[in-house]
Amino acid sequence: MAGISDKDIIRKIRDGEIDSYSHIVKKYTTSIYRYIKAKLFDKEEVDDLVQNVFISFYKAIEKFDVKRPVKPYLFQIVQNELKMYYRSKKPTVQLSEDIYLIHDRKIDIIDDSYLNYLSIDERKIFSHLKKGYSYKEISKLIKKPINTIKSIVRRGRLKLKKTI
Amino acid sequence: MKKLEDKIIKKIYRIETKKTIGQIISEVFLIVLIVFSSMFIFSVIVEILNEQASFDLFDFLRDDFETIKYYFLNNSLLFIQELPLPLIYILIGLLLLLIWLVYLLIKNFNKIKNKLISIYKFWFK
Repeated sequence: MAGISDKDIIRKIRDGEIDSYSHIVKKYTTSIYRYIKAKLFDKEEVDDLVQNVFISFYKAIEKFDVKRPVKPYLFQIVQNELKMYYRSKKPTVQLSEDIYLIHDRKIDIIDDSYLNYLSIDERKIFSHLKKGYSYKEISKLIKKPINTIKSIVRRGRLKLKKTI
Repeated sequence: MKKLEDKIIKKIYRIETKKTIGQIISEVFLIVLIVFSSMFIFSVIVEILNEQASFDLFDFLRDDFETIKYYFLNNSLLFIQELPLPLIYILIGLLLLLIWLVYLLIKNFNKIKNKLISIYKFWFK
């Protein structure tokens, strides 16, 4: 089997000879493993990712263009798997149940103690928002442009997310 | 590394076994279902034609050749008019689907056979 090209192996797999896939696995596992190992340190996660790469390739084998080389395609899958892995590991902000942020133009803070984390300007704007004023109304009240109000609110929200 | 390779191959076989068996079962089930439905619809059509005594239109076939020649076209057209058309359309649709499924099965026969051999070898040898 050593002399058989990837193209022939893929043709065989497409013809239902699943055992031929072991040649692909044996040929590329080491390089893929090393590549992922250089980026991640947890052995279990590296193993899982390598597994996912080969499973994804197997699932895509019917659509795979045999004229293209296998290795770059596999590494493209590796990149996608790594992206997904990093995305899944991205830290998420758990907001306390006391605070309730609406992501459009209003912010409602049930417990006012959170206002203490904000600057005077931010506190003023947030308390107006809590009363139900729109950005336009607040900009008139505070005499600041509407876009400034929006950025202050955005900054305040980020601050609250980080603090809480 | 060998352990990881074996793990990957085992997982691939597990996925493929599920997929292949599921595919075979669903195709066979669909074919059997279509065959039985077609037979049922066919029997209903025959029953309807019997009740209408439509088959009597072909009694002339027992006569001599001249009579057959004379009545064949006319009586055949009458017979077609008496056919329960909605059921006939359903039957034709089912038969076309059956032909398509059998064609797919024949076309993929080698592939499925190879897969089954590989699966058998992996799990039982």
